[in-house]
Amino acid sequence: MKFKKSLWLMLCLTIAMSLFLAACSGGNNAESPAEETPAEEKPEEEAPSGEPVVGGDIIVGSIGEPTLFNPYYSTDVPSSNIEGFIYNGLVTSNEKFETEMDLAESVDSSDDGLTHVVKLKQGIKFHDGEEVTADDVVFSFSIPLHEDYVGERGSSFEALESVTKIDDYTVEFKLSSVDVTFVPITLSFAVLPEHILKDVPMGDLGENEFNTKSPVGTGPFKFDSWADGEYVKVVANDDYYEGRPYLDSITYKIVPDQNALLAQFQAGDVDFITVPGTDLETAKAFPGIKIESGLGLSYTYLGFNQQQERFQDPKVRQALTHAINREEIVSAVMNGDGEVAHVPESPLSWAYNSDVPQFNYDPEQAKSLLAEAGWEDTDGDGWLDKDGEKFSFVMKTNQGNKIREDIVVVLQQQFKEVGIEATPEIVEWSAYIEQISAPNWDYDALVLGWSLATFPELSDIFHTNQREEGLNFVWYSNEEADKLMEQAKQTVDQEAYKELYGQIYKIIAEDQAYTFLYYPNVHRAMPENLNGYVFHAKSDFYDIHKWWFAEQE
Amino acid sequence: MVTYIIRRVLMAIPLLIGITIISFAIVKMAPGGPTALMMDPNIKPENREKFIQKYGLDQPVHVQYVKWLGNMAKGDFGTSLVRKGTPVGEMIMNRLPNTLLLMVVSTLLAVVISIPFGILSAARPYSKLDYSVTITSFLGLATPNFWLGLILIMFLSVNLGWFPTGGTHTLNEPFSIWNRIHHLMLPAFVLATADMAGLTRYTRTSMLEVLGQDYMRTARAKGFRQNKVIYKHGLRNGLIPVITIFGLMLPTFIGGSVIVEQVFAWPGIGKLFFDSAFQRDYPVIMALTVISAVFVVIGNLLADILYAVFDPRIEY
Repeated sequence: MKFKKSLWLMLCLTIAMSLFLAACSGGNNAESPAEETPAEEKPEEEAPSGEPVVGGDIIVGSIGEPTLFNPYYSTDVPSSNIEGFIYNGLVTSNEKFETEMDLAESVDSSDDGLTHVVKLKQGIKFHDGEEVTADDVVFSFSIPLHEDYVGERGSSFEALESVTKIDDYTVEFKLSSVDVTFVPITLSFAVLPEHILKDVPMGDLGENEFNTKSPVGTGPFKFDSWADGEYVKVVANDDYYEGRPYLDSITYKIVPDQNALLAQFQAGDVDFITVPGTDLETAKAFPGIKIESGLGLSYTYLGFNQQQERFQDPKVRQALTHAINREEIVSAVMNGDGEVAHVPESPLSWAYNSDVPQFNYDPEQAKSLLAEAGWEDTDGDGWLDKDGEKFSFVMKTNQGNKIREDIVVVLQQQFKEVGIEATPEIVEWSAYIEQISAPNWDYDALVLGWSLATFPELSDIFHTNQREEGLNFVWYSNEEADKLMEQAKQTVDQEAYKELYGQIYKIIAEDQAYTFLYYPNVHRAMPENLNGYVFHAKSDFYDIHKWWFAEQE
Repeated sequence: MVTYIIRRVLMAIPLLIGITIISFAIVKMAPGGPTALMMDPNIKPENREKFIQKYGLDQPVHVQYVKWLGNMAKGDFGTSLVRKGTPVGEMIMNRLPNTLLLMVVSTLLAVVISIPFGILSAARPYSKLDYSVTITSFLGLATPNFWLGLILIMFLSVNLGWFPTGGTHTLNEPFSIWNRIHHLMLPAFVLATADMAGLTRYTRTSMLEVLGQDYMRTARAKGFRQNKVIYKHGLRNGLIPVITIFGLMLPTFIGGSVIVEQVFAWPGIGKLFFDSAFQRDYPVIMALTVISAVFVVIGNLLADILYAVFDPRIEY
C-alpha cells in the first residue's frame, strides 16, 4: 500500500494547490476557446460480449453546471450534453464526421445550393406523445430568424431566409446565399415541440420555464429532474424511434472540480468522466475501469497580436515558430499525449491537408530569419533589438489550465535561446477573454485553443473582415486567403470544398497566422462492463442510447 | 433597552446602503463580464446588443444600481444572467435549506464539543488535559478547512470508503435519513472545526477569568464544593462573552461555508456564490452579498442584545 499512500499525498497536494485555480476551467462554450485536457492511449478493443442487457443507471460526472435545456439559447458544454440526450436534430454527424439523417428521412438540396427540402420520418413522437410534424420544424428554425430573438445562435442561421411547410412531413429551407455548413451544422439544431411553445412571445422564449423545468424533445431520454447544484437526471424514453435505450437513466452529476471528479470516480460515486492527460496514469490504476482515448477535435495555438508592427511580417512569425520546439512541448509538458499541429484542422477530419509548409524546431533558422527582418543583437546584451527597441513581449494564457501554464514557461525558455524575451502572464478566464478579444486586444501574444466543428469553416477566425468585431482577434489578414474562404463558402461540392480548404491551410501555414502548437488527446474513463461505447472525438456521449452494462460476475 | 434596539436597527440602515454601494461598485469593476464569459464567440454583434439591452447592462452604473436597489426593496432580486430567466430568489431558496442544515448541525457540533472542553480546561488549568485541549484547538485554528476537507475525503472517503465523497445523498437510491446524515457528517465536522477551536479557547479564557474573581473565592471559602462553584456560579458569568460569539458567528453563514461547500459538492448558497462569482452572474452575486451583509448586521445586533439580556450589569 506504499504506492497508494504516496499517491494519496500527491493527490491531496495537487488538489490543495489547484483548488482555486481549477474552478473556472470547465464549462466554456462548445465553439469557444477550448479547455482541453490531453494525453495518449490507444483505443482498446471492445470486449466481445453477448446480447445487450436492458437496465442500469449511469452517473456521469461534470465540472460544469448546465444553464438551460434549449439549444437555441444555451451555449455551454454541460447544457448541450444534456440537450443531446433530450432532443434530436434533423441530421447528425457520425464518428467519421459524416452527415447522417436523424429526424429527417432525406435532405434534397438544389443544384445552386440555395434550397433544401427536408422530408421527415413519420411516426416519431415527442416525449408527451405528440407526433413530430413539419410545423415543429418550421417553428424551431424560425426562432433565430425572429426579430425579437435574444440568443447567441444567430450566426448559424445567417444564410437562412425562410422556412416553409410544404406538407405535414416536408419542409423547405430557402437560403439567401450558399452556406455549406447549413446542412451539416444548422440542420443539426434540435426540433422543439411547437404545440407546447407556440404561444410564448419570442422575446421571452429564452426565459421560459420549458427550458429549465420541463423540456420536451424527441430524444432517447426524457427529462426527469434537475436538483440545482447537484445533478440532472434523464430517464429512458420507451418510445424512442430507434428503440428504447438500454440504460434506464443517466444522472449528470455536478462535481466541483477536476480533482474532485477523479476522487469521486475512484470512489465509485460517478461512473463516467473525462480524464485530463495529467491524471491519466493515476486513473489507469483504478480497478474495474477502462479508458477510451483518441485525438480530440481541437488544437492549441500561440497567437501574436498582428496589430503590432513587429508581428505583421510573416517572416518574423515563421522565425518565432522555428524557435519553438513543439515536439518537446508535446513529449515533456504533455507526456506525449498529443500531436504537433501545423494547420487549424484536425487530422481526423476529411478536410485535413498535411501537405503544408512546416516550420520545425530550428533556432539557427529562426535567428537568420529574424536578422533578415532587422532583429539583431546590436548592443550585445543577449537580446535582439531593432531601432533601439528590444524584442520583448508578454504571453498571456488562462489560469487553471495546467498544460498551458506550463507551456508558456517552456516557451519563455525557448524564446530566450534565440534572444527574445517572452514573459508569461496567467489571467483569470473571463478577464482573459475580455482582454484579448474585441474591442480591447490588450495582449502581445496568447496561448489559447479552439475546439473544431465537424465541418470546417474558418472565415470566422481568419477572415480580414472578422478583425473588428469577430473572432479574428490576432488581426490576421491575407487577401488571397480571404478570397478562397469566400469562394469555399459558396462551394456546395464537398470535394471542391476540400480542395479549396487545402489551399487555405497552405496559405495560413505559410503565413503562420498562428503558431499551431498541438492537437490534444481526450480520454474517457468508464466502468469495464460498459458496452456499446463508440469513440467520437467531439461527443463524449455519442450514441448513448446504445450503451449497456454487462452483468458483472 | 427598546430604544437602544431601535437605535441600533436604524443605524444599520445607512450601513447596509453603504455596503450595497461598495459591493455593487466592486462587482461592476471586476474584469471580465457576463457577455465576455458565457457568450458563444460566434454571436452576431446585434444579438449581443439585444442581450445587453434586455438585461440593462448598457445603462450607466448608477442607473443600474438604483433600479436594482428599488427592485430588491420589493423583494425582487432579478433573474440570473447565466441561467436565463431563473429568478435569483428561487435559486437562493433552492440552496438555502442545504446551507441552513449544514450550519445548524456544524454549530451544534461545535458547541456540544467545545464548551465542555473549554470549561474542563479552565477548571484544571495547566493540567495535561488543558494542554492537550489547547494544542488541539490551536491545530484546529491553524488548519485551513478546505485542506482538512480534502484530506478527509481522500483518506476516509476514497481510500477507506467509509464516507461518501460529496453531495447530499447517494444518487439513484431511495431516500433514507441515514444516507443524508452520512453525507452530512464530514462537511459538518470540517465546518465545525474552525468554530470549535475558537469556542474552546474563548470558553476557557472567559471561565478562567471568572474563576479568579473574588466572589468565586468567597464561594469556595464558604465551603461549596469545587464543581458546584464552577457550574452554579462560574458558568453563568463565564458564558456571557461566549454568547456574544454566536451573534458574531452568524455572518459566517455564507462566507464560512463557501469553501467547505465547494470541497464537498454541497449544493448550498456558498457553492452558489462561488460558481456565480466565476460566471460573473451579477444578480446572484449581488443578492448573496447583500444577504450576507444583512447577516453581519443582524449578527452584531443580536450579539449586543444577547449581551444585554444575559449581563444585568449592562444598562442602556
